[in-house]
Amino acid sequence: MKIVLEKQDATPLYMQIARQIETQILTGSLRAGYRLPPERKLAESLSVNRTTVLNAYRELKAEGLICSHVGKGTVVAETSGEGTANKLREPVALTAEPIWSHYFNEASERFAHYDMNDLLSLASRKDIISFATGIAAPEWGNAEILEIMKEELSGRTADMTLIHSPVEGFLSLRTALSKHMVKRGCHCSAEEVLVVAGSQQGIDLAGRVLIEEGDIVLVEEPSFFPALRVFKGMGARIIGIPMAEDGMDVESLAQLLKRCHPKFIYTMPSFHNPTGREMSLKKRKRLMELAYQYRVLIVEDDAYGELSYDKPSLPTLKSMDSAGYVIYLSTFSKIIYPGLRIGWLAAKKPLVKRFAAVRQISDLHTSCLSQKIVEKFITGPGYGVHLNKICSDYAKRRNTMMAALERYALPGMEFACPAGGYYIWCSLPDGLDARQVLKRAGAYGVAFIPGRTFSVDKQCDSYMRLNFTFAKIADIETGIIRLCRAITDLMKEYKEYRAEDEIIEITPIV
Amino acid sequence: MRIRYADRMQRLKASEIRELLKVTENREVISFGGGLPAPELFPLEEIMAVSQIVLKEQGMEALQYTTTEGFRPLREWIAARMNQRQGMALKAEGVLLTNGSQQALDLTGKIFLNEDDIILCESPTYLAAISAFKAYSANFIEVPTDDAGMDMEVLEGLLIKEKNIKLIYVVPNFQNPTGRSWSLERRKELAKLSAEYGVIVIEDNPYGELRFEGEDLPAIKSFDQAGNILCLGTFSKTFCPGYRIGWIAGAEAIIEKYVLAKQGADLQCNTLAQREIMKYLELYDIDRHIDKIKAVYLQRRDLAVRIMTDCFPREVRFTRPEGGLFLWVELPVGLSAVKLFEQCMARNVAFVPGDSFFPNGGKANTFRINFSNMSEERIEKGLRIIGEEIEKMLRVAAGE
Repeated sequence: MKIVLEKQDATPLYMQIARQIETQILTGSLRAGYRLPPERKLAESLSVNRTTVLNAYRELKAEGLICSHVGKGTVVAETSGEGTANKLREPVALTAEPIWSHYFNEASERFAHYDMNDLLSLASRKDIISFATGIAAPEWGNAEILEIMKEELSGRTADMTLIHSPVEGFLSLRTALSKHMVKRGCHCSAEEVLVVAGSQQGIDLAGRVLIEEGDIVLVEEPSFFPALRVFKGMGARIIGIPMAEDGMDVESLAQLLKRCHPKFIYTMPSFHNPTGREMSLKKRKRLMELAYQYRVLIVEDDAYGELSYDKPSLPTLKSMDSAGYVIYLSTFSKIIYPGLRIGWLAAKKPLVKRFAAVRQISDLHTSCLSQKIVEKFITGPGYGVHLNKICSDYAKRRNTMMAALERYALPGMEFACPAGGYYIWCSLPDGLDARQVLKRAGAYGVAFIPGRTFSVDKQCDSYMRLNFTFAKIADIETGIIRLCRAITDLMKEYKEYRAEDEIIEITPIV
Repeated sequence: MRIRYADRMQRLKASEIRELLKVTENREVISFGGGLPAPELFPLEEIMAVSQIVLKEQGMEALQYTTTEGFRPLREWIAARMNQRQGMALKAEGVLLTNGSQQALDLTGKIFLNEDDIILCESPTYLAAISAFKAYSANFIEVPTDDAGMDMEVLEGLLIKEKNIKLIYVVPNFQNPTGRSWSLERRKELAKLSAEYGVIVIEDNPYGELRFEGEDLPAIKSFDQAGNILCLGTFSKTFCPGYRIGWIAGAEAIIEKYVLAKQGADLQCNTLAQREIMKYLELYDIDRHIDKIKAVYLQRRDLAVRIMTDCFPREVRFTRPEGGLFLWVELPVGLSAVKLFEQCMARNVAFVPGDSFFPNGGKANTFRINFSNMSEERIEKGLRIIGEEIEKMLRVAAGE
């Protein structure tokens, strides 16, 4: 349902709303039985009073176009109703494009995320310095990988490479991955590893295999939003656990676990997206204790774990888990070409079996060529060299962004230096709305992602996620200067606005 | 003919310090390089007397083979001293004499390290320990270290995650190269973790007796719950390094293994040296001698710190150790200590660039200053020259 209000128009707002809904019903783009948004929600999204929406709905009810049912909300009435039939002046032409909203199922509505599109188009403009993406520096391609690719495709066994792989992935790659994880302290067998198409698929599989409609899933507040969307899409109820500098607040978690029984906890303990924070060892231990005590599974997303810049990274939850409660997910997308779409999942055998069964009906298996390339690369010496190089490069970029922030940030902008990963999490002064800042920043030629995007409970409005791995190192300072200029502008306007407020306050009542 | 060396020799490279010491034999060079004690403080007269007495009274024994473990009265003296000063509970059976503590490091490698075992060490750490352990094809993981010791969280994290960790090597008092010391809390914590995760700790303590400021802290070994902490000590810094007498002390069962390894290496330490040291300890008061050393080193440290505060640019940071022989300098990031070294050498001043103290390579902007070995006059002159050269580098870096 789409409604555009013209506030300057002489037509009262409630009438504008009623007319537009009416038109959509009459042209058939809103079908009988379509559930209209609750009044409060619509009022909020249109920034109007709730009574305005109430009046509009009342108007439509009077016309017999919509009706209310207890427990079902407000729905579009059957068009066969007497009052409406004669109003239907323009039936839909037979050859018109299908009215898609008739066909989409309700579940898919939960995946849609409209406000990201504007942002993505902003971030991909050429003149923009983008701190918005979550992708690696484009200049960090790797010639060795390209060589491996050529070999794979030109060798005598090239055609073998392109014949099916097992659903779980080639055993040789799974073996290589189990060895690879030793560096992260995980000791598991090849059978406990499942190759997936990027860790996003692992998240999706976890959702499909584990979530029952209405199940509770706990996540950090804020968290990686595509994961939230997956879980929501499966009908989970998501509860956010607040975070501190040293990771998830495990004591609030303990309180929460006394009251509810979540299916699993989704967490990114190492260099969390979007905050860049690293969960302390103490908290990791406590989290494992709680998982055992309440028999809750943990989905550990370790996408950034290897990107530790200052010190050896802390052990993964998986490495501390003897019982098998942790489902470990990781990916090569943050370290080598993300387009290869190779991630993996490590968990106890029964889980891997079930995951594989579900995965089979989704896309059979990960691309054979990608699997072969990654296997060769990670078992050779090239991977370690490459990782060291990008770590020292990203550390430099991080330092550059930190130095720029320290130099140009306005009072009230708070940020901590992340020990690894891709992001700096930065607050705005005076509770400024990051979405407003983004509009202005876009005009100045810099983009980031507003904190709200990552929030479970529509919080973090006053935070920005700044990526430091993508922009050219020479552009980072300029980007921060532009960003701070946008913030200065808005603060000034905000102050002027507040100053007006104050004048009104001191006007004596006569 | 191509000489085929063992594979492990590829891991051994000529030590920068050794190359340096060669240079500094040239008297003209003011060297803050080596870790040498002040030679003018060696108790030469007393040692002359002692050696006469030993040869006269016990010549036959003193020139004969002796046990691998070492001269028993000396081992008893060492155990008593460590018990009294560092809160331990050692017996003579738990002490093995070695050729300086360097041999104890080598023997440690011999009895503990398999290829690809991991050693956790401070960052930076003692250079010669790196070479001793590297010879056994071990790998190092550096644990971030601050003014109070290792980062315990990272340390524990590594103990959880890395299965090949064999040893934790630390120098908790006036560490070489930084001069920093561990806090009481971290000492206790390390002992706790070593028991919890069953990993051996090598506590190397050559400088602990040279505290000229502040309170002595108990050894990590004094909190040992599981008997897996081993202590290294030496007479090299409190008496004379030329004797090459040091020791390793700990649980008797482990020391037995060291004895076996030492038998194969060199049978025993020099008999004469052991007996002369013991005789000295009987006849003279070594504490008075150590007090003398401390007084001189304190004076030299004060002078060094004063000159550095005075004439090093503000951006340069350095430690102010409460004991020992070294302090550690950090230049602004981006400046190269090796380049500074070259500039200073051109003016006949030497020190050790810091990168060789990082087993996995590291901070090129650091260097070590030894303040024990030279007269005040040379210290002052040398440090002023280093200060001037840093100043120059900063100006070049600023593009002036």
